Amino acid sequence: MPKSNLASAPVAHEKLKALGILALNGMFDEMDAVSVLRYAINDVLPGDLAIVSSFGADSAVLLHMVAQVDPSLPVYFLETGKHFAETLAYVETLKKTLGLLNVHAIHPNSDDVKRFDPNGDLWETDPDSCCHIRKTEPLEPITEQYGGWVTGRKRYQTSERGVLPHFELTSDDRIKVNPLAYFSDADVTEYRQAHNLPEHPLYAKGYKSIGCAPCTSIVAEGEDPRAGRWRGLNKKECGIHYDFNGAIASPMTAAARHTLWKEGAFIADPFKPWSEGTRPADARYVHVPVSEFIANRADYLASPHPLGLLVSPGDNIETLVDDLARFASIAIAFPSFTDGRGYSSARLLVERFKYAGEIRAVGDVLQDQIPHMLRCGFNALVVTHEPTREALVEHRLPEMALFYQPVGLTEVPMGTRPFLRRVS
Amino acid sequence: MYRYDEFDAAFVAGRTAQFADQVKRRLSGELSEDQFRPLRLMNGLYLQLHAYMLRIAVPYGTLSSRQMRKLGHIARTYDRGYGHFTTRQNIQFNWPKLKDIPVILEELASVEMHAIQTSGNCIRNVTTDQFAGAAADEIIDPRPVAEIIRQWSSLHPEFSYLPRKFKIAMTGSPNDRAAIRFHDIGLQAATNAAGDIGWEVWVGGGLGRTPMIAKLINAFVPNEHLLAYLESIMRVYNRYGRRDNKYKARIKILVHEEGLESIKGQVEAEFAEVRGGVLTLPQEELDRITAYFAPPDFADRAGETVDVAYQSIIDPAYGRWLDNNLHPHKQPGYASVTISLKPVGGAPGDATDTQIDVVADLAEKYSYDELRVTHEQNLVLPHVAVSDLRAVYDVLVAHELAEGNNNLITDMICCPGLDFCALANARSIPIAQEISHKFASPERQKDIGDLKIKISGCINACGHHHVGHIGILGVEKKGGELYQITLGGDATEGASVGKIIGPGFEADQVPDAIEKLVDFYIAQRTGSEETFLDAYRRLGEAPFKEALYGNA
Repeated sequence: MPKSNLASAPVAHEKLKALGILALNGMFDEMDAVSVLRYAINDVLPGDLAIVSSFGADSAVLLHMVAQVDPSLPVYFLETGKHFAETLAYVETLKKTLGLLNVHAIHPNSDDVKRFDPNGDLWETDPDSCCHIRKTEPLEPITEQYGGWVTGRKRYQTSERGVLPHFELTSDDRIKVNPLAYFSDADVTEYRQAHNLPEHPLYAKGYKSIGCAPCTSIVAEGEDPRAGRWRGLNKKECGIHYDFNGAIASPMTAAARHTLWKEGAFIADPFKPWSEGTRPADARYVHVPVSEFIANRADYLASPHPLGLLVSPGDNIETLVDDLARFASIAIAFPSFTDGRGYSSARLLVERFKYAGEIRAVGDVLQDQIPHMLRCGFNALVVTHEPTREALVEHRLPEMALFYQPVGLTEVPMGTRPFLRRVS
Repeated sequence: MYRYDEFDAAFVAGRTAQFADQVKRRLSGELSEDQFRPLRLMNGLYLQLHAYMLRIAVPYGTLSSRQMRKLGHIARTYDRGYGHFTTRQNIQFNWPKLKDIPVILEELASVEMHAIQTSGNCIRNVTTDQFAGAAADEIIDPRPVAEIIRQWSSLHPEFSYLPRKFKIAMTGSPNDRAAIRFHDIGLQAATNAAGDIGWEVWVGGGLGRTPMIAKLINAFVPNEHLLAYLESIMRVYNRYGRRDNKYKARIKILVHEEGLESIKGQVEAEFAEVRGGVLTLPQEELDRITAYFAPPDFADRAGETVDVAYQSIIDPAYGRWLDNNLHPHKQPGYASVTISLKPVGGAPGDATDTQIDVVADLAEKYSYDELRVTHEQNLVLPHVAVSDLRAVYDVLVAHELAEGNNNLITDMICCPGLDFCALANARSIPIAQEISHKFASPERQKDIGDLKIKISGCINACGHHHVGHIGILGVEKKGGELYQITLGGDATEGASVGKIIGPGFEADQVPDAIEKLVDFYIAQRTGSEETFLDAYRRLGEAPFKEALYGNA
């Protein structure tokens, strides 16, 4: 896998966080795409940045910039098996002309294709699932490996992308770099002509945004360039882009299906389930069980990747106090809603150990227990129970407006018991 | 007594609305029974053998006449005309309909009552001495602190899903009438070397299938740190109490298995962290709550007395009632009156809607608007002027509430048993009824003296059989009901757990078996001042066993 210099990444990452995303976005002239890219590659995430390219109609511009800054930046191409022959040829053309040294094709899992699309017509009956098995799924293991991504997204492309900045910090603490955010269609054309970049063979035939052959059609003059994608279907994104929160927007688990509830909304979850046997060095965006962490503590502490901690009932978190700050998220398991040990764990984390990161409830998380969880310090929930999710979406929690006991770090509101209304 | 302020009222109203929504979701099918169960339990709603049962909290056993009347109204309107007072000083209704529950809760809220945490694996209603605030032998009225504990424990977000239910009892008197050594936590008023009043904290007592006497975990916790100390115990229990087996999930098992010293160490370590924090109770707050429990404005009746011996001659029944059902009051010229809910042949603890109303009227007229529920399933008028006793008695007679049997053999604790309860293995009310018939003679009862019989219809011991001087436990054997007899239990400060002395009896043999034991005691006692329990402790188990089973 193309990886290097991982050790420096978290430092820059911290710097980015410290700077704040707005400050970073203010550093560059709107049109200074190359500087944005150079800063991202050299300073923000050295060795921990990659790009996914469709090698479509206007991919050449960004790839040319990449080649100027770092021709060995990993470039991933989703070889869905449904591309136009012209696109595949164009991949080779660009590699050669631009001097890209590190282009990788990602193929769908052949078992998935056999299973879900034996006749090759899934794009017709269920394009979302087609995208999912051909793009989202194969890309997932790749995206996990990097702290950030360069995208070719542009503000003008569709209304959904109208507020795109140069740098985004995603909800899973990854960085997305959008050097072309402010480029218009004309800017792209001008850049291409100025640098004499080869054109996608289909561009001249009226294809303005090019994806897989079956789902791409010609757009009329003046039409939204992406109107030709999935024409006739209520579908705008293929699934490899990121939603507004910056998490991967997968059609199969689109916003309505997200299970992570945080700050009042369901959002994509950067964390994946822990799988038994994961080596410490490979772990990222998982909640490491307490016992596993203790067993390989040094390895986990040396890992530069974002990690969470999974606290199960009975785990003694007191022994981990010194390491808590290392975790971006702590998941507290409720194997059954009747098992109330997690409430004590959460209170200890927040009130005694001053853990300030995400504390999520996982497991049997139900509507009627959630108010208790929130009072005890949980600030995120993973919800799979359908009526509970509806209640959250509709803000129908059975919350009590008043309470007698002081719990958590917040001041007990006015109107509650005088002797409990204190700030420490 | 305590009066809700706006906050309390809004809190209960909010909770009532919340549960009304949960009932609605249950009726619509959105909530499964599994999901509904812990919610309804935390609102006092059980599913019994025949119907739902609603258990209403009577915080530390104190009621106003207005509240009592509301209970009568509920019995009449939503139930079958009666209610059942429990060993946790609560009242339960056995026949409400699920759809009526939200309305009943609204009615209750209108008189500052609720069913919050009368069930479920949470901190239950705090119980106290029924004579609190009135008893002559009291160090301090425990109810202000009980009220503060009630508030602190109400919908506590950390302790609503404990391994098992959790019961706290407290007494302000050295004579324990609240069975504090048989509760998860028992608090007994104590004074330290400086003369300050605080609490002895006892932990890990309980009945059920594994009866345990609580152990002293801290000999003196001052008021200001009491909540922090309780929270420390609760946290240790919540984190480390067993959850693998519901029969081993009470804190008594944790204390027993880990040992008092280990638990004490954990609690003290936790206490060291939370002590002096946000739970510290300021004296002003304690004073504020205590003001609600200020003694009534008693009249000067110091010279007024009643001549019990004289009354016993001219009206023996009244004499007996005076003899047995009065408790010495701290205010001269006053007494606390126990209203027996144990008429011969009745179901212990049951009261009809009319009786409930009558007692409410008596409380209003003769007891400064206050009454109490006892853990022995009787009612108490705490502050009755001696000169009013006859008037009170006459009203009680008219409503079959004048049984003068307090603390006598027919004043039994008895669980609802197989007639109502889904857990029971055997009937218990009919056994109590038969025994009361057997010993109906007032003269005989008087001769026998203090004798506590406690009857449970199953091992869960709701009838406290373990701490009966004579305990009766119904078990199922070969498809039939069988009753085991235990001797020597004691719920007071002399705490002991009764011992099974031999094979069980068929239901119809139980009254005779009790009679044999009683006759043996009468024959063996050193005098009428030696009680059954004292005689048993002096003589030991063997002679009683022989008296009951013969010299086999």
